[in-house]
Amino acid sequence: MTATTYQPGEIRGLIEIDASKCKGCDACQKFCPTNAIEGASGAVHSINEEKCLSCGQCLINCPFSAIKETHSALETVIQKLADKNTTVVGIIAPAVRVAIGEEFGLGTGELVTDKLYGAMNHAGFKIFDCNFAADLTIMEEGSEFIHRVRSLVKGETNAGPLPQFTSCCPGWVRFAETKYPSLLPYLSTAKSPQQMSGTVAKTYGAKIYDMQPEKIFTVSVMPCTSKKLEASRPEFNSAWKYHQQQGSNAAPYQDVDAVLTTREMAQLLKLLDIDLATIAPYKGDSLFSQYTGAGTIFGTTGGVMEAALRTAYKVLTEEELPKLEFEPVRGLEGIKTASVTLTDKSLNKELTVNVAVIHDMSRNIEPILQEVLAGTSPYHFIEVMNCAGGCVNGGGQPIDGSGTSWVANI
Amino acid sequence: MTKKNYEFAEDSFFLSRRRFMAVGAAFIAVMAIPVGWISSRIAKRNDYIKARSAGLYQDDAIAKIRVSHANPAVQQYYKDFGGEPLGHLSHDLLHTHFVDRTKLQS
Repeated sequence: MTATTYQPGEIRGLIEIDASKCKGCDACQKFCPTNAIEGASGAVHSINEEKCLSCGQCLINCPFSAIKETHSALETVIQKLADKNTTVVGIIAPAVRVAIGEEFGLGTGELVTDKLYGAMNHAGFKIFDCNFAADLTIMEEGSEFIHRVRSLVKGETNAGPLPQFTSCCPGWVRFAETKYPSLLPYLSTAKSPQQMSGTVAKTYGAKIYDMQPEKIFTVSVMPCTSKKLEASRPEFNSAWKYHQQQGSNAAPYQDVDAVLTTREMAQLLKLLDIDLATIAPYKGDSLFSQYTGAGTIFGTTGGVMEAALRTAYKVLTEEELPKLEFEPVRGLEGIKTASVTLTDKSLNKELTVNVAVIHDMSRNIEPILQEVLAGTSPYHFIEVMNCAGGCVNGGGQPIDGSGTSWVANI
Repeated sequence: MTKKNYEFAEDSFFLSRRRFMAVGAAFIAVMAIPVGWISSRIAKRNDYIKARSAGLYQDDAIAKIRVSHANPAVQQYYKDFGGEPLGHLSHDLLHTHFVDRTKLQS
């Protein structure tokens, strides 16, 4: 028996350094949130998989393209698309639509939702926008937050503690699980939008698609490498458990069957000769492509908080926020904080909600966590994203080649 | 006949052979990425982060509905199937638990 940070079945060692390409330059170490990269300057580096969050920040920032992923579902997905007996559902994360265009010669940050729908529809996917599940996440996570706040106001102790942390980012969740397990009760129990998407596609979605759940193959398209690890967590087979309770005796399956990064989806489309830049736009094939502005900003730092505040404000005050743009949580400041004073209609009480937003996690999170551990945290709700800037800069996004190509020639 | 003594010059060198190799390797590593590479990399990174974030804020600004609770598809999900937020089915399907990974064994 040896200690490990992985549950049985989880993808371990997703990110790997190619010893033949590594120059020992240490650049990756500056982007690693957990000091998981070992090896002296000048010597070939390697990744300690027990510490690694699989966030892929080293991979997208290596000047020598020496870091790669060990797992890819690309071939499996192409086989499933060709299988007429399988309904392949493509789950599209928010940050993918503003980055995948770069792989097809479009401008940096260009919004290509309709073209991406068109390209994926052409490839044979049903369109399931993860933004729909982001809206669902807000309903669950926001309700949970309001429950915790009201319990505190009323002096009840049966709800989870405050501050409540967001739990959408698998890098942050794994960081908390490996380094600060005593803080786990503070995390929202709401699943991430990826996992909600997979579960809903195989339960409610089975009715919408009029398809047996075991014939639905869910493929999420993510700006993130760590989402592959998240999807492989053994507890994420809720749809299978649900159908089992309903009397099904199908063999076990995961809620999310395969995860492709933004880069891998671009590769898939190119392999199938689909040009995203020129494809006809498409609006979607079911209610799962309906999403709101709140769902789409999940992909950037501060977005989850802004979306949650819009809904929490409505639930507490019974009125819509007069101005939806919440500027204090936008931008690239390491730690962003804000206070909102509002009246809780049902308790007839004025509340001040203090929020904090953390991105570029390893550089900014320690003081915030120390306050929570000491019981002195002034905050009620804290959003954490591992990557600088949030998912738009995730480890699965297109790699910005400008400024690195000449270095790689050395 | 006097016996001749030899002295090894290497002994007086300020670095051991092992240390010398390590310093050399570190020197090569520093040469491999030019001065200022990290800071210019971060500046470039922040440029594309801002451009992609602007794309998402644009998607929000042009959206007909901008608050999650007003998404008709989400409302339909709860009405047709899910019940209500934090309800029984939500607990089974949309919530999870976390794992203390300091206690896992293989």
